[in-house]
Amino acid sequence: MQTFYRKIYFLFLSAFLSTACLAGTIHGKVIDSKTGEPLAGATVQIEKNSIKLFTTVNLDGSYVFKNVPAGKYELTIKLLGYQTVTEHGVSVAADNSLVLFNTSMKSESAELESVTVSAGGKETDHTVRGLEKTAPVLENILSQKTIELLPDLTVANALQRVSGVAIQRSSSGEGRYAIIRGMDERYNNTLVNGVKIPSPDAKYRYVPMDLFPSDMLERLEVIKSLTPAMEGDAVGGTMNLVMKSAPQHFLFNANMATGFSGLFSNSRPFAAYDHGAVNNQSPAEINGNSYAATQNDFSKGNLNFTNRSFPFNTVAGATVGGRMAQNKLGIILSASYQNMFRGSNSDLLVPNAQPQVVGSLDNQSVISDLYIRRYSTQTTRIGLHNKIDYQIGRNNKISLYNMYIHMNEFQTRSTYDSVYLNKLSDNLYRSRTQKQSIYNSTLQGEHLLVKQLKFTWTGTYARAKSDVPDMAEYDYQSAVTPGTYIVQKTSRIWQHNTDQDLAGYLNLSYSPNVFGRSSEFSVGAMYRHKTRDNYYNDYSLTPVLTGGLPQYWTNYNSASYTFNPASNATGAISAANPNTYTSYENVSAGYAQFRFMASKKLELMGGIRIEYTKQSFNTVMPESFAGRYGTVQYTDPLPSLHLKYALTDKQNLRLSYFRSIVRPDFYEIIPTQNNGELFDIKGNDSLKHSTADNIDFRYELFPGGADQLLLGVFYKNIHNPIEYAIVRNGGPSAQFFEPENFGTAHNYGFEAVYTKYIGMFGLSANYTYTHSEITTTKQYFYRDPTLGITSKLLQQQRPLQGQADHIANLSLLYKNPKIGLDVQLAFVYTGKRIAQVSPYYNLDYWQLGQGVLDFSFEKKIKGHFAFYGKINNLTNAPAKTVIYQAPAAGNAFPDQGYSDKTVVGKDIYQINILGGLRYKF
Amino acid sequence: MKKSLLFIGIVFLFAGCKKWDENLSLATPVVQVAQPISDAAPLCGAIKGTMLTGKTYTIGCDVVINKGDTLTLQPGVHINVKNKSGIFVQGALISLGSKDKPNFITVDSLAALKNDAPNQDPAKDPAFVGGWAGIYCASTCPMLILKWTHVEFAGNGLSIAQGALVNQSSGTAFSILFQNPTGIFVMEDSWLYGGVDDPIRISNGRICFMRSTFEKAGIKGGDCLNTKGGTVGDMAYNLFVGIATNGQKASNKGQPVGGQQTNINMWNNTFIACGYRQIQTGRGANINFEEGARGMAFNNLMVNCKFGLRIVNNPAADTANIRYGYNYEYGDSLVVVNQIYPTNAGLSGGWTRPMSTDIPDYKTFLPANYQFGDTYDGTPVIQKNNPLFYNFPLPVPGNIPLYGIQAVNKYDFRLQAGSPAIGKGFTGFAPVGAVPIDPVYGVTEMTLPGIDIGAFQSNGKGNQHY
Repeated sequence: MQTFYRKIYFLFLSAFLSTACLAGTIHGKVIDSKTGEPLAGATVQIEKNSIKLFTTVNLDGSYVFKNVPAGKYELTIKLLGYQTVTEHGVSVAADNSLVLFNTSMKSESAELESVTVSAGGKETDHTVRGLEKTAPVLENILSQKTIELLPDLTVANALQRVSGVAIQRSSSGEGRYAIIRGMDERYNNTLVNGVKIPSPDAKYRYVPMDLFPSDMLERLEVIKSLTPAMEGDAVGGTMNLVMKSAPQHFLFNANMATGFSGLFSNSRPFAAYDHGAVNNQSPAEINGNSYAATQNDFSKGNLNFTNRSFPFNTVAGATVGGRMAQNKLGIILSASYQNMFRGSNSDLLVPNAQPQVVGSLDNQSVISDLYIRRYSTQTTRIGLHNKIDYQIGRNNKISLYNMYIHMNEFQTRSTYDSVYLNKLSDNLYRSRTQKQSIYNSTLQGEHLLVKQLKFTWTGTYARAKSDVPDMAEYDYQSAVTPGTYIVQKTSRIWQHNTDQDLAGYLNLSYSPNVFGRSSEFSVGAMYRHKTRDNYYNDYSLTPVLTGGLPQYWTNYNSASYTFNPASNATGAISAANPNTYTSYENVSAGYAQFRFMASKKLELMGGIRIEYTKQSFNTVMPESFAGRYGTVQYTDPLPSLHLKYALTDKQNLRLSYFRSIVRPDFYEIIPTQNNGELFDIKGNDSLKHSTADNIDFRYELFPGGADQLLLGVFYKNIHNPIEYAIVRNGGPSAQFFEPENFGTAHNYGFEAVYTKYIGMFGLSANYTYTHSEITTTKQYFYRDPTLGITSKLLQQQRPLQGQADHIANLSLLYKNPKIGLDVQLAFVYTGKRIAQVSPYYNLDYWQLGQGVLDFSFEKKIKGHFAFYGKINNLTNAPAKTVIYQAPAAGNAFPDQGYSDKTVVGKDIYQINILGGLRYKF
Repeated sequence: MKKSLLFIGIVFLFAGCKKWDENLSLATPVVQVAQPISDAAPLCGAIKGTMLTGKTYTIGCDVVINKGDTLTLQPGVHINVKNKSGIFVQGALISLGSKDKPNFITVDSLAALKNDAPNQDPAKDPAFVGGWAGIYCASTCPMLILKWTHVEFAGNGLSIAQGALVNQSSGTAFSILFQNPTGIFVMEDSWLYGGVDDPIRISNGRICFMRSTFEKAGIKGGDCLNTKGGTVGDMAYNLFVGIATNGQKASNKGQPVGGQQTNINMWNNTFIACGYRQIQTGRGANINFEEGARGMAFNNLMVNCKFGLRIVNNPAADTANIRYGYNYEYGDSLVVVNQIYPTNAGLSGGWTRPMSTDIPDYKTFLPANYQFGDTYDGTPVIQKNNPLFYNFPLPVPGNIPLYGIQAVNKYDFRLQAGSPAIGKGFTGFAPVGAVPIDPVYGVTEMTLPGIDIGAFQSNGKGNQHY
């Protein structure tokens, strides 16, 4: 019999190109039962006796079997995480007919919804498109699958794929902070599973997003409008990192890859130092503040560098999870490890700290130094998280979430500093070790008290730490005789800070049917106690005069250094400084929120949130100092209203309003002077927090499948924005940057997202236009007939720092489920934007528009294995920074080529390649 | 549901009624009441009043002259500063020493160890240890007057408590700080000995430095008179010996908004063996004009300094508004004379134009096609034009390296009759005149430009320290 059928089958196959008269076609679409999202990659099998045919669902959800012998088949569709669909008796007539079989699959995941805290409405949809479509607020989501296929390894880099988001890069070219709709990191907050996490940053509240390996995420949400149930301190948006939760069935995934950066070679090696030589504690921490340190207290090993030509990167991750005890207990455990060697080659023209009057030209930025910098950065990330949920009866669920993120950064920076128009050069070598971590433990409960009345609670402890132990730098300077050098100063800095949160959240929601329509009314409260400590201790040693003269350089180990004056060797001088402080912050909030269908098509959601903030600080300043400690308190009512009108089943119109706030950073309200890179920074005790009114209007079209078209406009009115301005009320020692409130800033823009899949090809594009305006005070130098060269303060209007007018993403996808191949080419363009606001008129630093092209692929190979690769920065696009001033006549600056602007910075990161294996069970 | 509506209602009621603006409470500073001065016990805390002739006072911990208060020193006052403390001047400090009865602000225990013979090891010399903090004026200080006053052994690093009194970071190590753009700072016929960083830092102010002597100032960096943006005034008839970097520096860096351009006239100063302890290669002259500063430099005498007059090109001094000439350079060695006009090869970034009035005559050693900054051969002027000091061996004997001369010691820098520096000066310009002429509240004598080059005039005018 079998032979017979096979023969028949071959007969059909041989008739493939001709119109087979004894066969038909089975085709159809497979979508998610709730969201309608096409379930690409699902396997479809038809079986009749010994005939077994397979195919895989395409990106647009379609599948097709051609030339199927007539008969009655059993059709099975399987996809991990979904209930298997089986259909008996799909009949194919022997008349070349088409059989259409469309189906939807039900997700079987039973996770505890983590957005409970952040988004008042509890949605049970599981795929991101569905969440976006049905969410009461505006959000963009990247799903786990999307993230997995992205060329990005960290959450920061993945964020740049989200509509309206640009990223700020670190010195090794890695994304670090997100700028959402032109609002820089100050204006955004970060949640993990809906719970706010503290930042390990030494100065700021915002969280460095490169801490998080992206493979820990179930999805990444960028929420652009806030509801009363959400923390009210985001203007650009809230980034919610939803971590993987326990699956319905046993799951085991692992991946491992290796690669390298194209930057390093024999001629441009990676400069490494002995990590073990880094002293974790300063001499003052070990011996007390009265101890006078000597050169021998400082390790030499972290200033001795060894070259590595081709360091290899390693990425590994594993996730295991499942449910047990009759599905009541769900556990997931996920670990991620990255060890990356990155770097950059950076040319930096350093303008003199103050503009000059050059001939008849006022306010000219004059280049004083050229820095040629080489960064070698080893970044080690470890991410661990686990989630346990337990179902008690039908109505109660408890979950415990733990996360630990750790990132070590070992960075060598060499600087060849040549003083312009002068052959003098300095050679500086620095090693900087930074250990950052975030630990978070969250216990949540969800209780259906009575029908329609639900109570949820959350208790969370989180601690963020940063430790920069023994940042060390030395310098030697060219002497008059070529090839000889003079020993210069050397410095050692220890800095560490912790930021610790204890928070509790309570929510009560009541979901009655009003006039036959579903609705939800909820109230809630939140309290958070935050403690922040900062420690800073710096030592500056100068070379011993040998025989009364400066010392010639041979190497660091043989240079001899001392402290002048001797008292500067003690912690009493070096550690007791305003950078050492303690801050507390208590935030309590309450909200009332409603959500109901006002008509069949109009959904209304809104309410009010009230946030009370009490911030206090304590410094090491003496009694004579005004403001050595202080407290500031304020309360904000934050109303919001979100309308969603369903034009048709596939189209929505949304209109949103919300008010939100931005709190000053802790040190910004402390009236002490802190060391800054260019200028000292002085806190401002009269600084007010910012409030913003935000309006969004959006049209959404979901034509089916994963296709979408989103068009939206937004407007933000920010009252009391915090910006830095220069304050000069004395000499160089009394001039500093100070955070100040600058009236009102405006920010508006337009956003478009378009996704279209055709067969195995997909196109995903988004574009955001943003325009912001803020007016701040700038200093302008000119020649006055009586005063001579002097300066005045002028008001200058500019965009907000980091805001690019144009941000665009374009991704081309090819997904061939039959051969198990996924390919993605991703292009990001970020337009011109202010990289650094200058205190001087017209001299802001602009980063020129930059397009970065990345590529990634994944190919299934035998069994559960897949081979994957990620290639970043294919075109080696340099990042260029300019000031809008014509280059000085006759200059020999590198990297120029414009008549209207001077290129002051050029960073090259080179291509990064990574390839490895993924195992999925 | 009714309850939740009620809650919303209450919340809105709250939002409507209550004023929820920011409410700030800050620690208020503790200000001490000034105590009368006594020589019976060490002084401590806020003080004001008059220190009396012939008395010795001890400062036992930091003293503060509160805003609005004045501390006056009559002639012949001796202050011994102990415990690394400092004098913090939020009000005014007026020290009125006289030629016969100079005042001293010193550390007695270090003064006993003073050794000014040549070739002292700076690493061991008490001049550079920073025996006390120094005189630090806040931006509220209207007046710092030092007449016939010795300020010695200052420059210890500020503690945070000290720094907070005058808006300085901890670790700052000046000997004297002045930072009031409208205040006046006069140093007349006075002495400054030792120091760590800039011995005298003038962030801005109206100044007059007349006929004063500076020795062993700054250990391995530090400009002796370092003026920053918004400083106007005069520096004349001063003697500098063994300064780490520059004797006199004018810069417009850090000028306050709407402030005056730094404008300093420098005439008839004498510089001996300056610039050698500076660890940075291109730095260390006797007079420096930098970053947007203007002014004049005439009749200055520079002997065996690391560089000659330095007009800095980047960031450039206000070269269009600097006048100079009639400056006199002497060098024992080729290294010195090759930097009479600082060269690019000397890594100094100088922009000094040779002037036909300079001594030696540049035509005798610069090539015809010389451009400023070029390397040249100074051989023709080695040891030429010995200025013939009363008592200072030139050329310096071989057993003393040039940098070994750090203090006045027993030397006398008056000019012998027949010195080629006599009668070569230029008198056709006027002082800036930023401070009043006054025996107490200003400069007693504004000595106009002199006909002899250097600080000591053969007619007895000029510097009186001999």
